Amino acid sequence: NNSSQLSSLPLQILLYVNGVYYIFYFLATLAMIIYKSQVFSYPDDFLAPDLAVLFLMAILEVPRLYLGFKGNLTEAEAPLGLSLGLTVGSVVLCVYLLLWQTYVLWADVLLNAVLLSAYGLESGLKVTAIAAFVS
Amino acid sequence: PADTPDPSQARARSAPAPITDVAKLCVCDLLVAQCDVNCCCDPDCSADDFSLFTTCSVPVVTGDSQLCSQKAAVYSLDVEANPPERIFKLIDQVNPSIFCIHAANYKQALYLKSPEIPTPENFDRLLDKFGGATFNAEPDSWNLDPDAQNPPDANETYRYEYGAPVQTEEAFLRLPSPVVSSWCSDANPAGFLVNQATKCIRSVSVENCDSIQALSMLFYINSSILASVFQVNITVQSIVVQSLDGMRTLLSTSDVLRLPMVLDGLCINAVLGVNYHITHTDTGEIIEAAAAFVLGAISKEALSIEQSFEISFTQENTQPVPLSGNPGYVVGLPVRAGFWPQGYPFPAGFSSNKHSQLTILQSTSTQDCLAAQGARAPVLFGYNMISGCKLRITAAMKCQPLAQTLLDVLKGQSFPEYVASFGNSQAQDVLDWVPITQLHISEQMISNTLQSSCQIPVSLGIEVKWTKYGSLVNPQARIVNVTATITTTTLKQLPSGRERIIPVTSSVVFTDISSPAEPSYKAWPTINIKLPFDFFYPFV
Repeated sequence: NNSSQLSSLPLQILLYVNGVYYIFYFLATLAMIIYKSQVFSYPDDFLAPDLAVLFLMAILEVPRLYLGFKGNLTEAEAPLGLSLGLTVGSVVLCVYLLLWQTYVLWADVLLNAVLLSAYGLESGLKVTAIAAFVS
Repeated sequence: PADTPDPSQARARSAPAPITDVAKLCVCDLLVAQCDVNCCCDPDCSADDFSLFTTCSVPVVTGDSQLCSQKAAVYSLDVEANPPERIFKLIDQVNPSIFCIHAANYKQALYLKSPEIPTPENFDRLLDKFGGATFNAEPDSWNLDPDAQNPPDANETYRYEYGAPVQTEEAFLRLPSPVVSSWCSDANPAGFLVNQATKCIRSVSVENCDSIQALSMLFYINSSILASVFQVNITVQSIVVQSLDGMRTLLSTSDVLRLPMVLDGLCINAVLGVNYHITHTDTGEIIEAAAAFVLGAISKEALSIEQSFEISFTQENTQPVPLSGNPGYVVGLPVRAGFWPQGYPFPAGFSSNKHSQLTILQSTSTQDCLAAQGARAPVLFGYNMISGCKLRITAAMKCQPLAQTLLDVLKGQSFPEYVASFGNSQAQDVLDWVPITQLHISEQMISNTLQSSCQIPVSLGIEVKWTKYGSLVNPQARIVNVTATITTTTLKQLPSGRERIIPVTSSVVFTDISSPAEPSYKAWPTINIKLPFDFFYPFV
């Protein structure tokens, strides 16, 4: 019975697109860090935190997306809530890469802005979905 | 009183902040309080000065162009207006690339590093680091700490590559050389297979010359070179002692170590030159090292001496013969010559060594032929040379011995018979060697020359004919013909008591006899098309 379906279709689409976009984002940011280390003066003390943040974000993304899919499809609010919590962490790391990286190129700004807007939209849809599941 | 030192100390500790405002930066403003010509950004220039300019030498001042957007000061001259006036615009320059730097949180990346200002606290440390004649960017990599270095294993083979520093137990084999000035720096390592010759000046004082390490033989031979399996000690090959007036004597025994000491106000046995000879295998392992020394005496007045150092590498069981070109002769390199050894009927080839070079007489300062025994200069390809000396003939001189002596003076001890036609001719290729044609010309053709008149040689002229050989775009020089012409003249008998001075000359002339080049072109390709004979089967 379709009318009693509580899973949110826009959230599902967004999660899927986010997964694909994140792979591109990770590879592009890694390539740009390598480019920056060759072209600019990038000492090891500054390179290490940037790389650590990028890899931490990649590690967080996998459970975040998995929990999001699972929570939305099984209409359970607990995984969705956990995913929302992980999203907050990802947002913080994304803001670091946008503002406090050693060199922020214009391409970095574009990629991170798109990712941040995707996270924001996702969070909104997740909150709505949780509200729908709970009530 | 306690406060006043502090602000000045604080001021001295940091250098003045760099100017980063593009509107205030002016590179062409060199004269203080005066207007620089054609410098549009100079604040000392008035509108009248601007009207006299022709162009702006500095049209734009910007920051780092890799930033996405930055301020730029643009200066230009408006020549249309009357009088010409300067236009100054402050614009935002935008870098359209997608990889422009939007923000850089690492401030030192975009600016040059400010050097440390010396203060009483860090002065000693800065003097240590930068006070010597040289300092390099990575100080730790060169000064090997003997305590920290782990000794090499017995099985580890030391194979050297071209240019690698030759290692010894402590650090590296040193070849003192001038670095920034002419003063000797002992930190120059010798590179493997890099033949070097250096000369530098060392400051000395005769009173404590036995305590100056660099003047003693021990300093140069006490280190042993790390080679495969065992260490190679540096042996003393020969010692040459140079007297104060420059005369050198080779010592017969070279195993006694002669250390500098003060004697009669002179410092004797001071090292004036070291010549290292290193023998290696063809896989890059060093098997032998020898040093030839030149020891000399330093007088009391001398404040500095010049030392010369040389290092050369030879492969074992080979006798290197330097080539004069590959394959054609190179201008300025010595002409190679040799002998046909007395063998019958086919000797193994030419013997060509250092002693059989083509040489001519070298003029000396005294210009006396009989005193010039032995001084010869090698004939360099392409360089026409002429030299000579004066011969004083007295009545008492006999003709035959005089003629023989003059012939020796002109031709040298061993005048070669063959000259290599290419710079890299090998001794075993017999056809690559050109025989020297010897001609005799008598200066005075008197009809009754068959009398017992004395003919003495007065001139030797060597004419080397060479041609261009090979391709049109890269011609190689090849010697085709060498002719040595001896001109003799009659020596008239002098009345006793009289003497005569005759000039003796020798010359080398290189003549280019290349025929004009004929470029030849390849034939146009022809198209041969033949159909197979049954192409039109079954119609034909």
